[in-house]
Amino acid sequence: MIRHLAQTALCTSLFGAACIVPSGTGAQNVDGFFDVPSRPSLNFYGVTGLIDMPTAEALPDGQVAIGISHGGGQTRTTLTFQAMPRIQASFRYSGIKNANIAGFDTYRDRSFDARFLLNYESRYLPAVTLGLQDFAGTGIYAGEFLAATKTFSGSRVPGVVKTTVGLGWGRLGSSGAIGAPFGSDRPAFTPGDTGGELSANQWFRGDVAPFAGVEWQVNDKFGLKAEYSSDAYVVETGQGVIERKSRFNFGAEYQVNDAIRIGGYYLYGSEIGVNVQMQLNPNRAIVPMRIAAPRPYDIRPARRTDPAAYDGSWAKSQSTASGAVRDAMIPLLEAEGLTLVEARTTASTTEIRYTNDRYRATAVSVGRVARAMARVLPASVETFRIVPVVNNLAQSAIVLRRSDLEALETAPNSADALLAVAGITSASPALPGSARNESLYPKFNWSLGPYLTQRYFDPYEPIRLDAGLSLNLSYQPAPGWTVAGQVRHRLVGNNADIFRLNQSRLPHVRSDAVEYDQGGDTFIPSLYVSKQWKAGSDVYARVSAGYLERMFGGVSAELLWKPVASRLALGVETNYVKQRAFDDMLGFQDYSVATGHVSAYYEFNGGYTAQVDVGRYLAGDVGATFTLEREFANGWALGGFFTLTDVSSEDFGVGSFDKGIKVTIPTDWLLGKPDKRIRSTSVRPFSRDGGARLNVPGRLYEQVRSGHRNGLVGNWSGVWE
Amino acid sequence: MKNFASHILSAGLIAGMLAACSSEKSDSASVAQTVATTLKTVIQGRREGAPQRVVLSAEEYAKINVPMLQVNPVTLGGSDFLQRAATRRDSGRGAVEIWKSSDNAQVFLRNGVVIGTRGIGRDIIAADASVTVSALKTGANRSGIRTFTISDGDVTSSKFQYRCDIRNLGAAKVTFANQSLTTDHFRETCVSDAAGGQGISNEYWVQRSTGVVRKSRQWMGPAVGYFDMVLLKY
Repeated sequence: MIRHLAQTALCTSLFGAACIVPSGTGAQNVDGFFDVPSRPSLNFYGVTGLIDMPTAEALPDGQVAIGISHGGGQTRTTLTFQAMPRIQASFRYSGIKNANIAGFDTYRDRSFDARFLLNYESRYLPAVTLGLQDFAGTGIYAGEFLAATKTFSGSRVPGVVKTTVGLGWGRLGSSGAIGAPFGSDRPAFTPGDTGGELSANQWFRGDVAPFAGVEWQVNDKFGLKAEYSSDAYVVETGQGVIERKSRFNFGAEYQVNDAIRIGGYYLYGSEIGVNVQMQLNPNRAIVPMRIAAPRPYDIRPARRTDPAAYDGSWAKSQSTASGAVRDAMIPLLEAEGLTLVEARTTASTTEIRYTNDRYRATAVSVGRVARAMARVLPASVETFRIVPVVNNLAQSAIVLRRSDLEALETAPNSADALLAVAGITSASPALPGSARNESLYPKFNWSLGPYLTQRYFDPYEPIRLDAGLSLNLSYQPAPGWTVAGQVRHRLVGNNADIFRLNQSRLPHVRSDAVEYDQGGDTFIPSLYVSKQWKAGSDVYARVSAGYLERMFGGVSAELLWKPVASRLALGVETNYVKQRAFDDMLGFQDYSVATGHVSAYYEFNGGYTAQVDVGRYLAGDVGATFTLEREFANGWALGGFFTLTDVSSEDFGVGSFDKGIKVTIPTDWLLGKPDKRIRSTSVRPFSRDGGARLNVPGRLYEQVRSGHRNGLVGNWSGVWE
Repeated sequence: MKNFASHILSAGLIAGMLAACSSEKSDSASVAQTVATTLKTVIQGRREGAPQRVVLSAEEYAKINVPMLQVNPVTLGGSDFLQRAATRRDSGRGAVEIWKSSDNAQVFLRNGVVIGTRGIGRDIIAADASVTVSALKTGANRSGIRTFTISDGDVTSSKFQYRCDIRNLGAAKVTFANQSLTTDHFRETCVSDAAGGQGISNEYWVQRSTGVVRKSRQWMGPAVGYFDMVLLKY
């Protein structure tokens, strides 16, 4: 029937049209009303503000903003993250053209900001924010402020008017100062300083100057800004990159779409500036994901009407029954992008172990496995034990009662109700007496594709790129065993086009990156063998040996304790490695080191995670790395890390100690369809030899976690999707 | 425009993730294709405009011999004919029917009231319909709370509570193909502080002789808005 109607050109997949492209103005309006976007505008520093001055506004919780501004002889590119409702953090990369500072043509600098919302705006009181600008860099933007912003709307003026007044110190107190309430002993900006350390001793010292401004958001699209700036542009005017004739700045902004806002400005009575602002919220998918609808859950006949169906004699022989379940489940799971590892059944309980290559959210795969089980298992099976496995590591056992699944699929509160009756417990390392999927091993995989490597923040070229072909090979002879390698051939790029004298006072464990780039066009980034297994119900183990990463090869062993429902995990890793030859083929250099760490991982409420690694680093220095991240249930994560070791800041060099930011974006969030891959990037303002860790492939914690309680609960509604 | 730009943006962002070829027939090889198809569909969609809604003739209607639900998205246009995939009774009032579209999306109806969608994006994971079902079954006006668990489109979900009033507006004729049915017309108005203050307004036409919801206009979640539905055969 459907086919007949289809022939009359009727039903060209309405849902396809509706959802592959949720565009169409109608859909957009619906969506727009449903989640009203909030996006306070940004200033030239890429933080919530006016033109050059900050405001007291905060971004919506979790919002990510990228600001690119050009004006006053300089370009600033800023990544801002509203890490908590009251805390905003920013990382900035800037370049000042033709400023002969520290001997560079274009003076490039990195800076971090942090600000704290002291008071939410209320009916009578303004929002109040305390901010630190460039609080740990070499200090060209160093300044602090206290700002208050009040919003007015609904009067005779259309739109929204926001007024801001504030007090600035440091750079923000350099023009029109009214005194120095907390002492005047603020050191001046010294170019070429190692920088990088918290300059707490100079915060709020020196002259303080008032600033003020007003933003008029005329309608949804247009906004006007005017401000009185307290920034004298001391260094820039000294170098002649900007002429500062006035303290007033004016601008007009246009909201191009939900994400992008552009602005043009008249700055300091002498020049024109532009600003491009982009905002997105990890909690709002660009393209809503569309997961193919699951088969409706198969319901058993009532025991009353069909008692024979509940007879358990089919499972008299466990091995025969398990084999039959395995054979029936393999094609059903395959259709869902899942692979059966092993099955074991009795008349009342069936355990299925499987690997998932399709869904980033493990909960979705759990739901799909449960539906497949309901379809094939005789009615006498009441308990489903569903065990996601990642390369021989059984993550957890999700224990579901079949009658709960049957009762709850269409219940009003299906996700919460099922979670309340689901057991999420540890899975035993092995499943004795199971029927295994014999076709899994040995397994050989290869892929050939393009690769791209970037180097950031080179003083002469902010982004350097290499591109070429990468051949990836992996061979798995038995569960948990992996032999893997990569061969790359560079085709184009400029990573190697640098002449630089490496003056690092430490063993050159990371600072010889250029030498590696110059080593040869064909190279082997990694080639190793590893074995991982569960050493106990809550203990995971790994050993690896070979060319582990681009710069080091050797042996590595790791042990991780992570109970399924625990927020805390503990790990220990020891390595003995030797530095690889610059050509990245099979040779080694003389330097070798024993390095290793004891790690503690903790999952706080609200998606905040912390990690502390204490141990010995590649250069032989001893210390600890602290990582703080905010993770979203959809796979996004943003955070920062820093490492303190016994290397002095003089020996470390520019930056004083190792630190950086980390951004993780899930591919399915971008594509709007199931995809397991996630993309994680760490950006270090200065990559040097102190506090450098070995990059071992296959560390355990991230492999294990997606199937543990916290990882499952955040996506639990996916069980029904 | 907004969506076009965001598709371009995502295309750019994933450019770095492209894999050319591999031994695995995994989903990853199709990333490039996905981007290409998405862009193509966006462009085509803008060129062609909304798809046409189907009006069944009496002959076509006469040929239908299985349970069938015609669905016409209000803002997106077009039509589809859904087949019943499952029927079940649970502890809630009213039987639940799961209807399947031609491209494997699903609509869950409890006594004709939408309590779930699957595979259409930003799906209604679950909803409670007891107030509405009670009004439709008794013919009386009812008021109460309705809760919706709605997918955020990234395998997380949010809950929304609405205060709903269901009013019986009296007799109305429902016609399709060569059929003309006498029905009671109900309007359900739901308001909420959440969801950006946006309300929901559903309509139902309940056949007098059978008590079955034969026609409705219901909210199907934030991604697709409202659908008109006609129960052709049941």
